[in-house]
Amino acid sequence: MTVDVRNDGVLVEGLSRRYGQIRALDGLNLNLERGITGLLGPNGAGKSTLMSVLATVNEPDTGQVSVFGLNPRNGGERVEIRRRLGYLPQELGYHRHFTVAAFLDYVAILKEIVGRRRRAEEVARVLALVGMERFGRRRIRGLSGGFRQRLAIAQALLGSPELLILDEPTAGLDTEQRLRFRELLSNLPGDPVIVLSTHQADDIAAICPRVVVMLDGQVRFAGTPAALAESAAGHVWTADQRNESAHLSWRDGDARWRHIGDHPPADHEAAKPTVEDGYLMLSQTKEA
Amino acid sequence: MTPDTDERDDSALLRAVARGDEDALAALYDRHAGWLSVRLSRRCARPDLVDHTVQDTFLAVWRDAGAYRGDGDVAAYIWGIGVRRLIDAIRREGSAKHRLPWRSTEPEDVVSAEDQVLLGIEHGHLGQALAQLSPELRAALEATVLDGLTCAEAGTLLGIAEGTVKSRCHRARQALRAALADQARLETPRSRRQGWETS
Amino acid sequence: MTLSFSGATGPTAGASWHPSDDDLAGYANGAADGVAAWSVESHLGACASCRSAVSAQADGEQLARNRAVLLALVAIPDGGRLRRLVCRCGIPDHLLSLLTATSSLRRSWLLAVVGVLAVVTGEAVLVQHLWPGGGPPGMTWHPGAAELAPFLLVGPLLVLAGVAAAFMPAMDPSYRLAVAAPFSGLTLLLVRSVSALVAALLPVVCAAFVMPGPSWLPAAVLLPSLAVCALALAAVTTVGPVAAVVAAGALWVVPVVWLAAARSSLEVVQGHGQALCAVVFVAAVLVVFVRRDRLEMGWVQQ
Repeated sequence: MTVDVRNDGVLVEGLSRRYGQIRALDGLNLNLERGITGLLGPNGAGKSTLMSVLATVNEPDTGQVSVFGLNPRNGGERVEIRRRLGYLPQELGYHRHFTVAAFLDYVAILKEIVGRRRRAEEVARVLALVGMERFGRRRIRGLSGGFRQRLAIAQALLGSPELLILDEPTAGLDTEQRLRFRELLSNLPGDPVIVLSTHQADDIAAICPRVVVMLDGQVRFAGTPAALAESAAGHVWTADQRNESAHLSWRDGDARWRHIGDHPPADHEAAKPTVEDGYLMLSQTKEA
Repeated sequence: MTPDTDERDDSALLRAVARGDEDALAALYDRHAGWLSVRLSRRCARPDLVDHTVQDTFLAVWRDAGAYRGDGDVAAYIWGIGVRRLIDAIRREGSAKHRLPWRSTEPEDVVSAEDQVLLGIEHGHLGQALAQLSPELRAALEATVLDGLTCAEAGTLLGIAEGTVKSRCHRARQALRAALADQARLETPRSRRQGWETS
Repeated sequence: MTLSFSGATGPTAGASWHPSDDDLAGYANGAADGVAAWSVESHLGACASCRSAVSAQADGEQLARNRAVLLALVAIPDGGRLRRLVCRCGIPDHLLSLLTATSSLRRSWLLAVVGVLAVVTGEAVLVQHLWPGGGPPGMTWHPGAAELAPFLLVGPLLVLAGVAAAFMPAMDPSYRLAVAAPFSGLTLLLVRSVSALVAALLPVVCAAFVMPGPSWLPAAVLLPSLAVCALALAAVTTVGPVAAVVAAGALWVVPVVWLAAARSSLEVVQGHGQALCAVVFVAAVLVVFVRRDRLEMGWVQQ
């Protein structure tokens, strides 16, 4: 591939960030290209910190970041990155009195969308994308969690950003809403660089052509979901009884026990590994 | 386009809009925006200006529905707002000529008097008289009579001075009277003379 | 294109006449010429069914798009007539929209400020009214000065609170969005802070008129309020927002309380006090200007 990622994507080298004794990011290296990349990792892995650094909201202690060839440490280039950015932070808050349309208009102004009519067009466009067309005059505080999350996604889409950073976008969404979200993301025009973090391995499997697993502030895996699943091959098996030698065991949908471990018993019933299995395998290996 | 499924009549919808009923505004839009767009497009060749005007018209209806006294036709009320918003938009844009050129400047498109006779279709005296007017005179008359604009507003719409509008209307009326009088003289005694009401 | 007229034309057209479908189609797509179009149009004014027929010929997709934009325009608050008036004076509309996200410009906040001032002022007026010659029995009374202390303390602090609420990240639930956006953080901060300053100063100055004290009191609270707020903004360029606000507030509270204990409250707003406030204000403004990059809300603690 001859595409120069430096100018067309996001490049992260040696990123470190600590809070007191905690190393949120520990010498992290990452390449992000156009298309959807899923960020998988447990709480405290540093996903949110990484995303806030990419969103120019957080300053790293050391390391280089390059977003479309621009350096966020440079003031002027930082503003230019922000012009191309859509950010959904974790647990986004809203002013209590805002209506849906008022909030989106506010964010549109912050995104330098000039002109009342132009902003109304953008607000109408993103509301249609998340299926909330008639919600304009509803107060946000009266909305359920699922609709608030859809609103949060909508604000990130204002201005058709080239870099979309979505921190736990599917949190609080029910199954149908997650499906619609996946569809929305897959059909965004302009082929932006999309990074989304999630706990749900099936979100990754369903929409992300690339997945990055983060543990303890570092990247432990970067590749396709299929490759992640494959990395657990030979280490996943099912049985009728629980096997104590496995690292992890749980009841699966067929009321049998599914195990992940380094040394499956000799007569084990191998199971086809899923993305989740690969991820769990990685996180267990860290502890071992 | 959303089909018009609201049962209420226009006045009831307008009253509902005055109370802040957004669905009523949407219903009014579904009922009226189509013909309004078409009618405005016949006066302005810029589709983006027409779109903005349609949006602004219903926005104005939303804001000022309380001021509507219930006198007169809602469609005429909407048209009155619409055409004035269009004029505002044209004025803001600054350039003079936004009008669709009259088709009759292209001879092929004119429905000629011969065609009408050949097809054996009867048409009224006024139509004939209007057809004999030049396009500029007809445009001036249309803007002031049909659209109900003042001479100043008509001037902005047509891209001419107010005084020019006045003189063209005057000449148009004179020409019409003359044409109707001619027709009446040529008519058989049984035909009725059409009255031409000047506004 | 042909047009059929059945008898009378003009404004007294009979209700029985309707243009044919071809006529309407020709009108809608612009093919109809002046006379035919005029005839259709004057009919449209009176006939709802022909209007519907014409509407059906319009571009459905464009109509749907305009509908969505209209509903968005309706939903986005425009502040009403007062705001449109202000816009005509040249203030950009989008700046006014930004102010709606400021807590200390909300009615509830301002009512609270008025409430506090009412209590303080009311108490002073009451004391003056009940004991016009001296203080309550048993209390040492110095005419004019002591009852002003609460007001002198509270007035500038209320203004500081308003400005603090305007720029402190903790008071903006969507602060991270503001940081991650290209809009100048400095402009946002200044627009909000100055608006909050003015909005809080008005009731304070009005209360000063009502207060039983020297007639120059309303003018006297201006500089201290400005100085305290400017100090907070200057401090924010160095320390965190909370520390800055607390420090600025303390730097006002300490002298006022101390002077009140020494029975000379008014000194804080008299000659030397005013001069000091002026110096602090100018110095703080200079610091803000020089270190304005720090106010760009560049980075936050996650």
